[in-house]
Amino acid sequence: MLPATSLAQSAPDEGVIALRYYDYRDWQPGADRISVRSPSLYALVPLSDTLTVEGSLVYDSVSGASPLYHDTVSGASGRGIGDYRSAADAKLTRYFGASAVAVGAAYSHEQDYLSRAVSVEWRTWSADRNRTFALGMGAAKDRINAVEGVNGPVLDQPRETYDYLLGITQVLDARSLVESSITWSDGRGFYADPYKLHDTRPGRRRILAWLTHYNRYFPGPDATLRLDYRYIDDSFGDRPHMLEASWVQTLPEGFTLTPTVRYLTQSAASFYRDPPFPGGFVPGELYTADARLSAFGAVTLGLRLAKELPQGVTADLAVNVYRQRGDWRIGRGSPGLAPFSARWIELGLSKRF
Amino acid sequence: MRCSRSIDALLAACAIAALAGCAAIGPPKPWEKGDLARPSMRFDTDPLEARLTQHIYQSKEGAGGGGTVGGGGCGCN
Repeated sequence: MLPATSLAQSAPDEGVIALRYYDYRDWQPGADRISVRSPSLYALVPLSDTLTVEGSLVYDSVSGASPLYHDTVSGASGRGIGDYRSAADAKLTRYFGASAVAVGAAYSHEQDYLSRAVSVEWRTWSADRNRTFALGMGAAKDRINAVEGVNGPVLDQPRETYDYLLGITQVLDARSLVESSITWSDGRGFYADPYKLHDTRPGRRRILAWLTHYNRYFPGPDATLRLDYRYIDDSFGDRPHMLEASWVQTLPEGFTLTPTVRYLTQSAASFYRDPPFPGGFVPGELYTADARLSAFGAVTLGLRLAKELPQGVTADLAVNVYRQRGDWRIGRGSPGLAPFSARWIELGLSKRF
Repeated sequence: MRCSRSIDALLAACAIAALAGCAAIGPPKPWEKGDLARPSMRFDTDPLEARLTQHIYQSKEGAGGGGTVGGGGCGCN
């Protein structure tokens, strides 16, 4: 378990180093698609009683063929791809008497995409430490260089995004607490997918995200219920609702078992057009056949087993399965979508020091 | 659409303001907070796992994010 630095009201007195490995695979009826292997590293180091630094490194190795209507434009098997993503981020947090300030930076690089971001967050809490307020702001500058874009090369196209956050955490009673936040994101620049024929998207994207967490501990079974709800209003027109529930069950011998279920339902983007491609395409108008912007429902089932080992070491193994279908949406889903399935296996190892 | 987004923001702000008024419910005294300190009660028990899982969902669904700022973008969506 890694410390909750984003909510801590005082500097942690322990450092942490953690390794995590993801093995991801997705598929559609009759064909495997994308495979991703992702090792990652995280570390948190208390520099003093009032100062901490943390950061992470991630490397994704991507291979396979893009899923139908996710990343390709024909009914054929899809383009074979090989890609990578390397990312790093760091955050410095300074704690004062009744507040904390954190500044962060992030960097991500792919063959055709570069992202650089900075952020600042301020938190303050009440005298009884039962309520915490958070204000945050972030900015990202991205560049897209898709030399092999199917609509022609996309060279050095910019995208700038500014995020703003307002949040509150409230202790409700001795065994439950809730956190709710609003995040507003305003982005301008290149949003079309260069690998999708005719893909034409607005040059501005505004996203309002409302995220609420609720945790409650039950002493009888020695377990914790965790509920998350998120609503997003996207200027592209898709509006997903997401609900996730986890049950963290303490077991003997230092084991913890956590089953999780997640459900998402979303409407389609206003410029999404149903298959067959390129139905509905009009030159000069907004258009996408990207199934990720269609109307669908998606379910994730996950199970995590963690074990506390000596010397402050924790090991965990998690398996998640995911399925996305048009007819799983609450309301009318987009027609003609092939079911999309994925699974990812996680291995984690962390040590407190 | 602009009116709908304004209503969404207003509803979310009202919910947050309601939480701020929850001081009237009867929060616990310091000596009653032992269970709140359990690792399972943290909202971000594993920041690395949260980032990687969020990246998966952002690459497979329409829109993602929320709860953080300044995370940067990717070519996955």
